[in-house]
Formats: sequence, C-alpha cells, structure tokens
Amino acid sequence: MSTPVTGAAKVPSAEPAPTEGDLPMVDQPAVSFVEIETLRAREFIPAAKEALSSMALEKGQAEVIRPVFNWAGRNSLFPLHWGLACCAIEFAAAFGARWDAERFGVVPRSSPRQCDLMIVNGTVTWKVAHKLITLYEQMPDPKWVIAMGNCATGGGPFRTAYSVVPGVDKLVPVDVYIAGCPPRPEALLDGILRLEQLIRDRRE
Amino acid sequence: MVGEDIGERLAGHWGTDRLHIEPFPGTAGKVRFDPALVLDVLRVMRDELQFAHLAMVAGIDWEKHREVLYALWSDERKQYILLSADIPAEAAHIESASSIYPSANWHEREAWELVGITFDHHPDLRHLLTPDGYKFHPLLRSFKLHEPETLEVKRRDV
Ligand code: SF4
Repeated sequence: MSTPVTGAAKVPSAEPAPTEGDLPMVDQPAVSFVEIETLRAREFIPAAKEALSSMALEKGQAEVIRPVFNWAGRNSLFPLHWGLACCAIEFAAAFGARWDAERFGVVPRSSPRQCDLMIVNGTVTWKVAHKLITLYEQMPDPKWVIAMGNCATGGGPFRTAYSVVPGVDKLVPVDVYIAGCPPRPEALLDGILRLEQLIRDRRE
Repeated sequence: MVGEDIGERLAGHWGTDRLHIEPFPGTAGKVRFDPALVLDVLRVMRDELQFAHLAMVAGIDWEKHREVLYALWSDERKQYILLSADIPAEAAHIESASSIYPSANWHEREAWELVGITFDHHPDLRHLLTPDGYKFHPLLRSFKLHEPETLEVKRRDV
C-alpha cells in the first residue's frame, strides 16, 4: 500500500504533483462500505485498513470513522440484564436456546457500566423510577433504550393505577417501542434489529 | 370453634365491656377490643395463650371508621385467631405492635401508606410500596384516581 497522503503540507512542492493514477483508489475505495457491512470480524481489519486510508483521502475524518463505529456498535449491543415484570420472561426466552439473541451480538451484562442498551421489560412503578434513572445514567454514552411491551410503552393495563409510570419515556428517552402484552421473543428480536437500523443511519 | 379458655382468660383480664370474642369460621374466634388495650391484649396472647406468630396486620377502611386487624397463629393450638380494633377515621392512630411482634414492622408500614393508619412509636414508619414523598393513601375509599401525569418523580442526585 502506498503512503497515505494526509495533507498538502506533507507533499513537497518541488516534486511533481502525483498524477491521479498514482494515488490509491481515488475514485473507488478498495473495499466499498456496503461490502464491509457483511464482513466477518476476522476479515474486517485488513479490509478496513485498506478502505480507511483511501477513504480518508476523499472525505473528512468523521465521514470515515462514523460508519466504522456504527458497524461495531450495532453488532455488539449489550443490554442490561434485569427484569421488571412479566415481560422479563419473554426477555429471558429470547436469550435461550430457541431464539438465541446472542447470534446478533446481543449479550446481557449485569453491570450498567458495561451496557449500551437498556431494555425496559415490564411495568415501571414510581417506586422503581429513581433506580431506573440511576441505572440509565450509569450507562456510558452512546446508549439506547427499548421500551418492551405495553407497560413500558404507555403503562399498559395499569396506566391509571396509582403506582405505575404511564410509559418509561416519561423518565428516559426511548428509541424503539415494542407493542404486545407480552411481545413474543420474535418481536423483541425485531425491535433489536430495528434499533440496529437506527444505529446504522446514525450521523453526528 | 371458639377456644373456651381464650374467652375466659381474656374476660378475666378485662371483663367483657372493653373486649369480646365472637366466632369466626376457620379460626379460634375474632376478638374485638378497645384500641387502647392493644399492647396488653397482644402481650397476653403471646405470653399466656401461646399465639407466638403474628401472621398479618391489615387495615380496613369502613368510611366512618377504620379497622385494624391482626391475625395470630399458634403452633401449639394449630389455630389462627383474629384481633380487631375499630379506630375513628378522623384520628386513625393506634400503638405499634412491633415492640411485641417484630414482624409487625413491615405490615404496619403497608397499612400506614395504603389505608392511612398511623402506628405510634413505630421504629421505622417509611413508605414501603409507594415512592418516598407520596402524598396519598390509595386504598382509602375517598381516594380518586388522579391523572397519572400529575404525579412527579423527582430525580435524586446520583
Ligand atoms: S406488557 Fe403485559 S406482559 Fe409485559 S409487563 Fe406489562 S402486563 Fe406484563
């Protein structure tokens, strides 16, 4: 691979300006980013090296780094391992052998410091609201929230109860809502995949 | 089946005008007593009549008055007994039983926050099921379901 050209100052003006053919892949990146989306981790690093150096010539730093971070982030979503009510049963089933959410890189972690996704899987009461906010604030940025089930979405059957928060979006920002009482594990997986789409399209 | 000796023993202590026992299905009976006697009655129940276990403290809202209900269990007799005291709704106070039966602690916290019965000399009368600072007693008949949006949760400093 030829030396990456990082700026005009590094190119001595005495030398003849390189012709287009000398520069690596000005028109076409070696590996297009659409292709990178489908790579395995093992193949990713050489391909990314190639692509990054060529892309960095053409586009700004943010344009190059952002898709890589999005790719990495959305393929290793770590949700908080907790359960609030009956929806937690379906949450647990989604990580069991039958639905196996871990094939999407979704691994429940027990500490909020290691999480970037909070799946609110059940009824949120006012008693637990403080703790939920604390857990959310302990998660490092960037972080996402999925409201799973009718209770977390809008209070569900307990909407008018004296003890229930009518929707977790009163407490923390929510990215994906999943309807159902409870939603099936397929619905939870669908919600996670939709969240991955959101992360893919993320631009700062 | 009213336990005969229970009625006699209680009557021997306080007579029958401040306390009487009536049959109640499935138990040794239901004792209605003057709320001022609560600690004395419970102590006699525990020390003399072998009701060593306090299974439940409940509050009931009858609009005009409120009722405090204690359920005691005796391993020796294999029987429950109910104790009930009526207190006026406008001064819903009764002495805490937790100095005699420590298990009364959480039951009384629950009855306090849901039915608004204050237990005097309770060691730790805090909210149990509703959040701290919750102003309502939601199981009272006078409680109206408010719009949930009017409730506020205050962010605690983390
Ligand atoms: S949405 Fe239904 S299943 Fe889920 S927590 Fe609420 S009541 Fe339970």
